[in-house]
Amino acid sequence: MSSTLALRAPAGLWDLAHLQPRTEVVVPGDTIPAVFWKAVELRRDKVWMRQKEFGIWRSWTWGQTAEAVREIAGGLMALGFAAGECASVLSNTVIEWVLADVAVLSCGGVSNGIYPTDAASQVQYLCEDSRTTVLFVEDDEQLDKALEVRAALPLLRKVVVFDMEGLRELDDPDVLSLEALRALGRAHLAAHPQALEQRVAACRAEDLAILVYTSGTTGKPKGAMHSHGGLVYTMRGYNTLLAQDESDERMCFLPLCHIAERMGGEYFAMYTGSILNFVENPETVPENVREIAPTVFTAVPRVWEKFYSGVMIALKEASRLQQAAYGWSIGVGQQIAQRVLEGRPVGAGLRLKFRIARWLALDNVRKLIGIHRARFLVTGAAPISPELVRWYLALGVPMLEVWGMTESCGASTGVPPARIMPGSIGPATGYNEVRLDPQTGEILVRGPNVFMGYLNLPEKTAETIDAEGWLHTGDVGTVDAEGYFRITDRMKDIIITAGGKNITPSELENELKFSPYVTDAVVIGDKRPYLTVIVMIDQENVEKFAQDNDVPFSNYESLTRTQEVLDLIQGEIDRVNAKFARVEQIKKFFLLETQLSAEDEELTPTMKLKRKLVQTKYAPRIEAMYR
Amino acid sequence: MSDVVLQLLNVESAYGPIKAIRGVSLQVRQGEIATVLGSNGAGKTTILKTISGIIDPRKGSIEFQGRDITARDPAHIVQQGLSHVPEGREVFPLLSVRDNLLMGAYTRQDRDGVARDIETVFGYFPILRERAAQDAGLLSGGQQQMLAISRAIMAAPQLILLDEPSLGLSPKLTKEIFEIVVRINRERGTTILLVEQNANMALNAADHGYVLENGRIVMEDSCERLREKEDIKEFYLGVKDEGVRGERRWKKKKTWR
Repeated sequence: MSSTLALRAPAGLWDLAHLQPRTEVVVPGDTIPAVFWKAVELRRDKVWMRQKEFGIWRSWTWGQTAEAVREIAGGLMALGFAAGECASVLSNTVIEWVLADVAVLSCGGVSNGIYPTDAASQVQYLCEDSRTTVLFVEDDEQLDKALEVRAALPLLRKVVVFDMEGLRELDDPDVLSLEALRALGRAHLAAHPQALEQRVAACRAEDLAILVYTSGTTGKPKGAMHSHGGLVYTMRGYNTLLAQDESDERMCFLPLCHIAERMGGEYFAMYTGSILNFVENPETVPENVREIAPTVFTAVPRVWEKFYSGVMIALKEASRLQQAAYGWSIGVGQQIAQRVLEGRPVGAGLRLKFRIARWLALDNVRKLIGIHRARFLVTGAAPISPELVRWYLALGVPMLEVWGMTESCGASTGVPPARIMPGSIGPATGYNEVRLDPQTGEILVRGPNVFMGYLNLPEKTAETIDAEGWLHTGDVGTVDAEGYFRITDRMKDIIITAGGKNITPSELENELKFSPYVTDAVVIGDKRPYLTVIVMIDQENVEKFAQDNDVPFSNYESLTRTQEVLDLIQGEIDRVNAKFARVEQIKKFFLLETQLSAEDEELTPTMKLKRKLVQTKYAPRIEAMYR
Repeated sequence: MSDVVLQLLNVESAYGPIKAIRGVSLQVRQGEIATVLGSNGAGKTTILKTISGIIDPRKGSIEFQGRDITARDPAHIVQQGLSHVPEGREVFPLLSVRDNLLMGAYTRQDRDGVARDIETVFGYFPILRERAAQDAGLLSGGQQQMLAISRAIMAAPQLILLDEPSLGLSPKLTKEIFEIVVRINRERGTTILLVEQNANMALNAADHGYVLENGRIVMEDSCERLREKEDIKEFYLGVKDEGVRGERRWKKKKTWR
């Protein structure tokens, strides 16, 4: 089907020949360790990962990776780490994360990730719930969290530290460096040369492989269990949707505790041999993207929004001539994108214009972001504004939205490159079934990629997977005649106003987030006479706005209180309101006056506002909007 | 707000392409000591230089006693009653202490007043009287700082801009200088805008504080309240909880709230 559809996209705009699905098995193996060790055999001297150290990109070949994994796994066995035991990783996205993960799985263990922004108390809860016996931590900062709560964790035997900087003086029998663990491993494997191979061979497809704790906007996080079989099935499936191979370069920078980077980044690259490039730290992502110029780039909407607003800001500083060149060029891009989306042919004249537009401005915009080599972009994990998708299309880079969740092991639907529909999450992928619950409109997913259940929570599991094996996703949506799904909202988030009108807040919120001045927004209005919204401003861009317009402010709070900024946001709300019917319009708003970071309870680790928490925490201010 | 002596609105200053301050708005009220804290390169000195007219801002305005002094000639600004004690003292090394003081009074016509003020500063810093005839270049660093402050007083200003008086001084001398600064403020009613890296000293001496990071103000409050803020304690006062290991070296994230 996709090969015939591919012909509809005009040559010269997007070369889609490379986007053919790959259905053959690239690397055999039924478990993650089996696939990894087979891949090592096949690709020994090729580069798998890169990480920037002291300003220089250092490569890790498959062979080097294998050696490190082998020693770490040996070290774990020397510490008495048995098959089926759980090890957790508390770290930012670094190479050692992958090494530890693969080593734990190679031992037949269960691997769990903990967000580095989590507080010590959360680390304690996650270690308790997962029965963690070995905890890998990134550095002294993360180690301190572990030490703070270890008295309450009798099962925790050892803490392994990746980076020992500043810990030379540390003398603690239960803490050791990754280097020390590897030395233990070398000794252990010298005495038991076949130990690791035996563990790998004993690992079975139906065994529990990883735990992924869902961020949980309410209540305690729940540990979603994925089996080796489910993971392997899904990574093979991804290749039928968004095929990649050893010539592809990817960024690895989203948290590896999240299913998107774990599955779509680490495991999918393990299977296909694509190169994983790790960023220096979360702040250097834009720079590192420009350096690497990935050929395949998966990110969350927040990242795409950030790139877009970066370009918009740069544009404001540009000369009139440059602005005019951009304006004309993006216009041409939009015209082509429109035609492609409608499946209409693009004439020779327009193609020529697009060539000029690329030369004049669009190629520079792509270089500014770092997507000039990108074959395609993938967005997921949160809803994205259709306007933003169109903008990337106008640059001439296909942006493909996928939809899925932790419990479905990542993507369950995906937009095929040959027929992109902004606003839609695409049809079901070939490897699972997706349908709507006829009563509620909830989207249901069934397939081997669906998870095994929540750890220690059989009742929650039974609520989520029904007797026929359908996963109840909690997202409500619609489906059209071509099988394209659209999400209306999270089931529990749908607002029914006092007037009885059903409103899907995410539609309004996404429109608002398209503004460079708005980072996130929460629409309120359930059982209320009208809609209101809580807005988190984009500090950088609003500060710039204030500075350009001579609005005096000192700190963040005073910035959010200036009349000009309030007017600015009101303007953005008016713009969004114009697209909606009267009852769906936002009547009042307020701005969050504290600058939030991932450590704050109001935000998820992926920097989204937690709807329920924000509603409770700011209840008085919300009430004030209805007086 | 009639008691505001000095007001900066969205001031931006740059050295060539490098913006040193990126939109600073602050105000100093009559009779108070205000302080701007910040690390090296935050833009503290640039603020003072912009106020006293040594640097012309790219943007924004500066009002002193209700009059616009943005980018005016430094000599004119001194005559309005605003003196600048520069970073690193900058006394005239080959002039005597007394001549240095008289240089400070260069813009004044009232000889009696000048004589009276010389006596006053000798009262504050008796060592200067002893060394009145010596070349200023022969003074120690601390004495030079005293001289620089005294020279500023000699112009009988309404407002003194004081740039890092503690630079290169011993803790004891720093303490003494700060005590005099507070005395000058209390006794003469001179308003002071103090720029300091020694946050502990500055927060104790001043009434109102601003924290500057990368050319922008990230926090402002009364010094009393600033001293209690977590980030100020951790990053400016060096008070930190030692963590579970008793030797924490990683830094918390700044939140400025």
